[in-house]
Amino acid sequence: MRAFNAELSKLFSLPGIWLAFLIGVFAPAVIAALDSMAQKEEIIAGVSTRLSEVGYIGLGLGVQGVIILGVLAVSSEYLAEGNETGGGQQITTSLTVVSSRIHFLLAKAGAVTVISILLSVVAIMTTVSATHLVLGEYTPAFEWPKLLGAVCYWAFTALLAFGITVLTKHGMIPLAVLIINTSFVSFSFLLSKVTKLALYLPDRAGFEMFMFLSNRFLTPFTGGLVMFAWVVVLFIAAAIVFHRRDVAS
Amino acid sequence: MSFPSSKKITRILGAELDKLVTLPSIWLTLTGTFILNLLLAAAFTSVGLQGAAGTQSILNIGLASMRYLQAGFIILGILATCSEYNGGQIRTTLTTIPWRGVQLSTKHLALEIITIPAAFIMAASGVLYTFTMMRDTAVVIEIGTMIKTLLGATGYLTCTTLLSAAIGALFRRTTPALVVLLGYYFVVSPLTRDFPPSIRKCFPDTAGYYMYMPPSTDEINFLTPMQGAGISMLWTLICITVAIVLFRKRDA
Repeated sequence: MRAFNAELSKLFSLPGIWLAFLIGVFAPAVIAALDSMAQKEEIIAGVSTRLSEVGYIGLGLGVQGVIILGVLAVSSEYLAEGNETGGGQQITTSLTVVSSRIHFLLAKAGAVTVISILLSVVAIMTTVSATHLVLGEYTPAFEWPKLLGAVCYWAFTALLAFGITVLTKHGMIPLAVLIINTSFVSFSFLLSKVTKLALYLPDRAGFEMFMFLSNRFLTPFTGGLVMFAWVVVLFIAAAIVFHRRDVAS
Repeated sequence: MSFPSSKKITRILGAELDKLVTLPSIWLTLTGTFILNLLLAAAFTSVGLQGAAGTQSILNIGLASMRYLQAGFIILGILATCSEYNGGQIRTTLTTIPWRGVQLSTKHLALEIITIPAAFIMAASGVLYTFTMMRDTAVVIEIGTMIKTLLGATGYLTCTTLLSAAIGALFRRTTPALVVLLGYYFVVSPLTRDFPPSIRKCFPDTAGYYMYMPPSTDEINFLTPMQGAGISMLWTLICITVAIVLFRKRDA
């Protein structure tokens, strides 16, 4: 519990974390508002084909905030200080204090999960109010299971980013790959045109939890399970690698 | 120092090139981007092969991976400037080269020297792959158009790299610069699809898009490759200027 508190405190005092919060809170709302504005006329005329996913698209594409959170949580530990200050890494201090590596990893993952869940709840609030603001009475009702799915999607995405960064030790690659993959030109979307197997990739499966896709492949629940399985596998791999690896290398 | 100024510039350029070439992450980024580009070209080609035969141009499919390819070049630009700030290298640099404006502009020049061949090879390899795979099915294009398009793509990637380097010099930290640039190129820009094209075509990425996009005649708001290149370069120059001015003002 103390390790968990320490991780929370480390995360909140990270210099880049304001960016994660800012993007996490506002990006979904802005995306949802822009999308609603673009579709407003069609929706009012009652001919919109995408009425049901209005708003959710913001939650689907606005996960950058938690990606930054998950990546920064790990990459900040490995960031080498300058030569002028000894060139140390925070991870050596962290592991001196919490000597069990598994405990350390669990505490950190726990802190990331808690913050990303809180962030997603805030994001849902801003997104729902932004959609209401733009669409007024035409806003589709937001259903609880879907919103819960969105919360799960955010938390799982943060954990995926976390796990990948533990493996790479460097924030740049996971950040670039994951941000591109959540954007409009995602790799998995491209791959899903090539092979049906790509629909089992974590983000595609996770999307099924709260998006109404026209060509539904998995039910929301199995989508969640598939994504959770990815998180678990990645986390186990990260834990093994982290347990065996020399910190100084 | 008692060097004539032309020699001074050459020496600074040599030093900046040396620093970039010896940065391991630059080579990692370039190799990674190259491999990824080929994989994406393969994916796009296989999607293209599934589509109707004889309707798609090789250039369209071969350059479809450009959207992803630019990410690698954004990283390249950011790495070039932000690596100076990782561990106080910038103070050594400025001790040996105490002319800040000259230093940063030479850095951009050195980056350009590395980027242009890399960008050309990558754009060409994507098109070449598509060409070998789809020779029988796709519309044949003449070699002149292909070279023009490839030069446009190279120019676009170079502009993007220099722009990212300038943004990196502004932020001085890798993560915020990366998030801002990737967020702009991959999330914000596609979202503004519904904006009137007259405004949209002046954005750096859309203007650059016209540099290599095959010409279509039915569009009113269409930029010629030269106009696109002009706007794109203007954005890059503005960003570099802002970066240099701030770099001169700020505490290193």
